[in-house]
Amino acid sequence: MSKYIPTIGVEVHVELKTNTKIFSNSINGYGQMANSLTNVIDLGYPGTLPTLNEEVINLGIKAATILNCKIRKVMHFDRKNYFYPDNPKNYQITQARTPIGYDGYVEIIKENGEKKQIYIEEMHIEEDTCKSAHRGTKTLLDFNRAGVPLIEIVTKPCLTDGEEVKLYLEKLRELLSYGNISDCKIEEGSMRADVNVSIRKNEKDPLGIKAEIKNIGSISNAKLGVEKEIERQEKLYDAGKTFKPQTRRFDDKIGDTVLMRVKETGNDYRYFPEPDIPFVILTDEMIAEVIKTIPMLPDERRKKYQSLGVTEINTNKLVQNKTLSDYFNDLLDTEIDFKTASNLLLGDISAYLNKSEKLITDTKLSKERFIELVNLVSNNTLTSKNLKEILVPIMESDNSIPNIIKENGIENITDDTEIRNIIKRIISDNPESVNDYKNGHDRAIKFLMGQVMKETKGKANPRIAMEILTEELQ
Amino acid sequence: MEDKLSKEEVLHVAELARISLTEEEIKKYQVELKKLLNEVEKINDVEGYDDDILIANWDSNAELRKDVAGDMLNPKEVLENAPRHAGNYIEVPVVISDGEGA
Repeated sequence: MSKYIPTIGVEVHVELKTNTKIFSNSINGYGQMANSLTNVIDLGYPGTLPTLNEEVINLGIKAATILNCKIRKVMHFDRKNYFYPDNPKNYQITQARTPIGYDGYVEIIKENGEKKQIYIEEMHIEEDTCKSAHRGTKTLLDFNRAGVPLIEIVTKPCLTDGEEVKLYLEKLRELLSYGNISDCKIEEGSMRADVNVSIRKNEKDPLGIKAEIKNIGSISNAKLGVEKEIERQEKLYDAGKTFKPQTRRFDDKIGDTVLMRVKETGNDYRYFPEPDIPFVILTDEMIAEVIKTIPMLPDERRKKYQSLGVTEINTNKLVQNKTLSDYFNDLLDTEIDFKTASNLLLGDISAYLNKSEKLITDTKLSKERFIELVNLVSNNTLTSKNLKEILVPIMESDNSIPNIIKENGIENITDDTEIRNIIKRIISDNPESVNDYKNGHDRAIKFLMGQVMKETKGKANPRIAMEILTEELQ
Repeated sequence: MEDKLSKEEVLHVAELARISLTEEEIKKYQVELKKLLNEVEKINDVEGYDDDILIANWDSNAELRKDVAGDMLNPKEVLENAPRHAGNYIEVPVVISDGEGA
């Protein structure tokens, strides 16, 4: 047990999933040719005026709701002033005084099962800056990102270790991507986390000197970065040393944080209200309308799936894959066997999707087709062995499932009389096994069942065959 | 009331603006910036002053724009307005990012 108490706060920026930028109607896109998604507003040309994107406010309301925040109904924007080439206006438009959401929380479940609420101080809307890349003595600028809408979510300093940071970020990513707020792709920069870390000896001591870790490229690096930083500070204090408040970055090559700069003075952003954007005033009706459109969130999905008989393991696997979970959600109004449906989706179908690098939505497995398939499997018309044989045409062709079954010679024998005749013959041909069974050797029935399947070339419905076999053995 | 700013205050403002000043200029701005501040401070004398009236009219709710894409600039046009460019990127002297801004 360490003799220090770490105190950690997390700031997360996520890019919002809108068609256009926050203050201009140029496209909000990723991976396009540099400087091809801009207009005069994004580039800060003189005489231009920002106009606020309605969808940004809607997504802000949704995010605030999902993160259990209170929603501010009267808000304005502020200018955060600084000179830096990533922002040609020399200020960033943000919400310093009136963040759209405040006083929220996200619940995480730790490995030991303990639940903890991570408190959210506030979440505000702001514009992203342009992307800069440093090449030797030059810096290259791409303004496609300038003006992309962001929300910044700031926790209270209430986290205490790297594991909690990891769980919080995972939960946040899950909530915001299920809420269709952001695609939360850390590798593409649509979710970015900065972590503030300090340590102190006693609860009663004031908070220790803070180091901020930036440029964290993945959630596992966030955990590792925090752990390394705590270790570094502990060693310094143990050696009787101290350090200045500083910004560090996580270097994944060395798996540790490295110093970026020491903060000699506090930031001086000289915030003042943005005069070009009037107040945004939300009514209860507007807020209620937006909240109605929030999709079913992960925890609710988990509850729902389990209530339909899906196993806990399958439930968690489904919720981890948003495309599959959305597909599954589309079936909730039907009366299929959901356990079988989840087994199929996560079993053979997932294997096919992984192998072919496809999303389920890119295949021929429409909702109707899948329902048909689930029914065929749940009433034992199709065995899992059969399914493996015909899965590719089901996923890739327009041919109907009954046709595919026929063309592949998969006609299971479901006629009781036919199966019964075969079974009777097998029983009379194998008196020893019948005796063994009657003497309590359970394995004998497996042998006899094997004979039935052999005789029928695997076409007997296994459930029906087993029922008849048991009956005939009495 | 002191009739000029301290040298440090002027240097701080200069640093924020990323400009360098000569000793002469510093002396000049110590007086001139203070005069400007004195003028701005008069706003505190206004009766019934409310921070919010500086922002916008409370009655005018911001008109929100539909999330529909419009015309964008041709990248060529964008680059022509920059002093230097490399490929499709605008080029500036190196500045080490400290993640300022967003």
